[in-house]
Amino acid sequence: MPARIPEPSRRPLLAVGLGAATVAGVAGALAWRWWHRSERAEISPTRGLRAGAAVLSLAVLLDSGIEHYRGSFENPAMVIAPTLALATLGMTAVEDRAAPYVFGAALAVGAAGVAFHSYNIGKRAGGFDMLNLFYAAPLGAPAALSLAGLFGLAAEHPDVAKPERVAPVAALALLGTAAEAGLLHFRGAFQNPFMFAPVTLPPIAAAATAASGISPLVAKAARPLLLGTALLGIAGPILHAYGIHRNMGGWRNWSQMILQGPPLPAPPAFLGIALAALGALPALERTR
Amino acid sequence: MFERITEPRARDGRAPDVFRPGAWMPMRCHADEEEVDFAIVGTGAGGGTLAAKLAEAGFSVVAFDAGPFWRPLEDFASDENAQGDLYWTDERITGGADPIQLGSNNSGKGVGGSTVHYAMVALRFRPEWFKARSKLGYARDWPLSFDELEPYYEEAEESLKISGPVHYPWGRRRRRYPRRAHPMNASALVLARGAERIGIPWSPVPLATLSAPRGMAHPCVYRGFCIYGCSTNAKQSVLVTFIPRAIRAGAEIRDQAMVGRIEMGKNGRATGLLYHRCGVWHRQKARHVVVAGYSIETPRLLLNSACAQFPNGLANDNGLVGTHLMIHSGPGVWGEMDEEIRSYKAPPSLAVTEHWNYHDEGKDFHGGYAFMSGGPLPGGWAHTLIGARGLWGMALRQEMTRFNRMAGLRIVGETEPKPHNRVELADETDQYGLRIPRVTFSFSDNDRRLMEHSIGSMRAVLEAAGARNLWSDRDSSHLLGSCRMGDDPEDSVTNADGRTWTIPNLWVCDGSLFPTSGGVNPSLTIQALACRIGDRIAAMAKRGELGR
Amino acid sequence: MNGFKTPYPDYDVLEKWDTPSWNPQTRAVVRRRLDQVPERRFLTEQEWQLLEAVAARVMPQPDRADPVPIVPWIDDTLAANRGPGYRYADMPPMREAWRQGLAGIAGEARERHGRNFGELPAEVQDALLGAIQRGETDGRHWGDLPAARFFSELLLKQIVAIYYAHPAAWNEIGFGGPASPRGYVRLGFDERDPWEAGVPDV
Repeated sequence: MPARIPEPSRRPLLAVGLGAATVAGVAGALAWRWWHRSERAEISPTRGLRAGAAVLSLAVLLDSGIEHYRGSFENPAMVIAPTLALATLGMTAVEDRAAPYVFGAALAVGAAGVAFHSYNIGKRAGGFDMLNLFYAAPLGAPAALSLAGLFGLAAEHPDVAKPERVAPVAALALLGTAAEAGLLHFRGAFQNPFMFAPVTLPPIAAAATAASGISPLVAKAARPLLLGTALLGIAGPILHAYGIHRNMGGWRNWSQMILQGPPLPAPPAFLGIALAALGALPALERTR
Repeated sequence: MFERITEPRARDGRAPDVFRPGAWMPMRCHADEEEVDFAIVGTGAGGGTLAAKLAEAGFSVVAFDAGPFWRPLEDFASDENAQGDLYWTDERITGGADPIQLGSNNSGKGVGGSTVHYAMVALRFRPEWFKARSKLGYARDWPLSFDELEPYYEEAEESLKISGPVHYPWGRRRRRYPRRAHPMNASALVLARGAERIGIPWSPVPLATLSAPRGMAHPCVYRGFCIYGCSTNAKQSVLVTFIPRAIRAGAEIRDQAMVGRIEMGKNGRATGLLYHRCGVWHRQKARHVVVAGYSIETPRLLLNSACAQFPNGLANDNGLVGTHLMIHSGPGVWGEMDEEIRSYKAPPSLAVTEHWNYHDEGKDFHGGYAFMSGGPLPGGWAHTLIGARGLWGMALRQEMTRFNRMAGLRIVGETEPKPHNRVELADETDQYGLRIPRVTFSFSDNDRRLMEHSIGSMRAVLEAAGARNLWSDRDSSHLLGSCRMGDDPEDSVTNADGRTWTIPNLWVCDGSLFPTSGGVNPSLTIQALACRIGDRIAAMAKRGELGR
Repeated sequence: MNGFKTPYPDYDVLEKWDTPSWNPQTRAVVRRRLDQVPERRFLTEQEWQLLEAVAARVMPQPDRADPVPIVPWIDDTLAANRGPGYRYADMPPMREAWRQGLAGIAGEARERHGRNFGELPAEVQDALLGAIQRGETDGRHWGDLPAARFFSELLLKQIVAIYYAHPAAWNEIGFGGPASPRGYVRLGFDERDPWEAGVPDV
């Protein structure tokens, strides 16, 4: 076999990647400034968790809404996930006594979702083979709802949700999300080099975050990595939108490609988790 | 296609850019009197692939095709009846006890050849088939081994970005397919379910259609019109893979150019060929001629090129040109499911079992077969109902309303190479004044036993999957052999490199080289052979073994 | 069996005309099929009438005031001499085969029933066509044409290919029809996209 087989045609990948990164960077910077609009208002663990829960809820709302629509809401229970995600999103925006119950429900329903998706895969022809992991109900996705609930609950209990506890949980969540991105990008054969980004940066950021309790130095190192991960969460939908454009019919064929193309609302999960982790960092950067 | 294309597109220094509607790419062109290194007749799996390999190796190449140069994005309609120009529909006579249906069933016309309308199944031969006589005790050995072809299988798969399962359950351990398998449609799930219930392995089919973007080519959208031409460029036909590569490497593709005769010099070497384009016969000079017109047009051209020096036709001193033609037998079994199947969606064959290609116990026949899930469109389905059950009238119309619940399986079944199954010239002539081919085919007893066995297996799988009211039909697919390769000049037309024994600068590079048919679709093996022949020619040229 | 029932009474594939399921190429092809039914060019008036009567039995459409046209398209194929790319060794070239085959049916009808095929009652027409399908024919009317092969390979195949290329036929069997650039997403058991025919009436 020749060392390199010539490609019959090419696309301007680098331009697209740099473009997406630039747009995401500008959007991220603007958001960051808006968030820090009150001078010196340091990002607190509570604010980080709450923001993380909000972003995760929004992502789950859109993602499960679209994916369960693809599944034609065949099982009536499929409306629960987007409904609950909407509720958790609401609870992150307003103060309400019902919040702990909603967050708790999200935590439980997410776990049940994982179990239900596993059961579904298991009964398909092929069982837990790669094909079903690629195309059947995703194993990891419902965990994002649990995570939204967990972050929401944690934000209500700063005494329990201490930074040194939030960090490893966020790290684990980052790893899980990276694993899911990895699985789906493997399904796409990493055809675009930027598809490697979510399987490289977030795991490193996760490692640094998990270890940030060890020393303030590590925590300081975790910050840029988490900021990068957050940016990925913003750049992802832009790249995925380009991916839809790359499919047959492009955006004109949106009614198919919103379902079959790369999922628009999936990448912001990285943003949500990174925000929660970033909230925990200042305390960890100061300790000792 | 919504407009008939009758004029050549590839000329005056440019060729259609298949990736962009209305666009062109620069193409190096050659004058007729300029003696090129290689003139290739045919641009399909054999000729198109070889054109790229030879051009990339630095040879000057002109490849001829009798049909048009499509731009699939703008030329192809989503319609069963409007895509007829994809097929070789010049008159041919088909006879024997089991006459082969030609045309849309197995014969392409146009740049890219039959790969433009094939079902994209990309399976390797079972390694032992290359030594069928010595290892399995039937038919004959190929003049090369699986080991020699394996790197070229890999090259072909890489070149086509085959979408396949992470683990393929049959054959030798292999590198991972370049792309992941496609999701399965209900028709494929029927095969999977049935196979699991009777305890035989199954797999998603490795397919030459993209499961993720590649350059300018879109991934598959599961529109289901694959065998009527892919309008999205997801299908990795030779038209959108090796042809653009060939042109970029300096090859010229001459579309709408029917080659009628290979011309011979006094020294016993071919000097070039006569071709018909824009209503006129032209003469292209070439140092080497490669015939890649598939199992009917290749022997037809060799026979039609008979001259005083070679009165039986070229490379035919032993009378073997045109003989040992094979097909794949294709009985199918169909049944009605409780679930809606709607197999018009997605590529027609998404699941396969090669169990009976690799598992020889209990067979009362030699050879093997694979079977795959089916996905006919309405016209094709109506033809199946006519052929198998003789339905017409209101009975047919009413039966057709069950279309969305039908599921079926069909084999790709090995047939034996027999001398009386062959291509000859009829006395009739075609629109160019060339004698048309007469094709004769009859199944052997072994072929029939294989088909019966396969019907039993398919019934078992379908029944286990829950299908009711089963019935079977007969069909066939593919063409193989007719100019077989071998080790012995007495017993074959070419050597393992496709070089004819009697004319040192005349080569064959297509499915007609196959000494046996195997039980899988042939295109990947044809393309692997073409990749190998390309490398062999380049190596021989370096050593000064091409002559003159 | 005279009644015909479709499981998809509410489905109309033409409603997708302006959606991404239909591209301009396909619209052009289907528009031609719907609006530009060709005039008679090859068959004689009598052959045409006979073929109309035969097609009405092979693909009966009692449920339609405006039946899907079939004979004009057969005539079109014959006028253009556009064959399938092969002919059986025991058959003459396509045009002769059709001429001989239609003469055979006409002769067979007169021989057996003393009337033109088109004047026979439907059941008698069906019985006659059935006999031809089984090859139970009188060689005198057919020349060297194998009647059964003509019936199955040319007549039946051509008629159904034309019928099932018409949107009206796609509707009655619930076929998705043209699908480019938009294909399909939901591929599994009992799964359908919103742009497919709905749940069938059983």
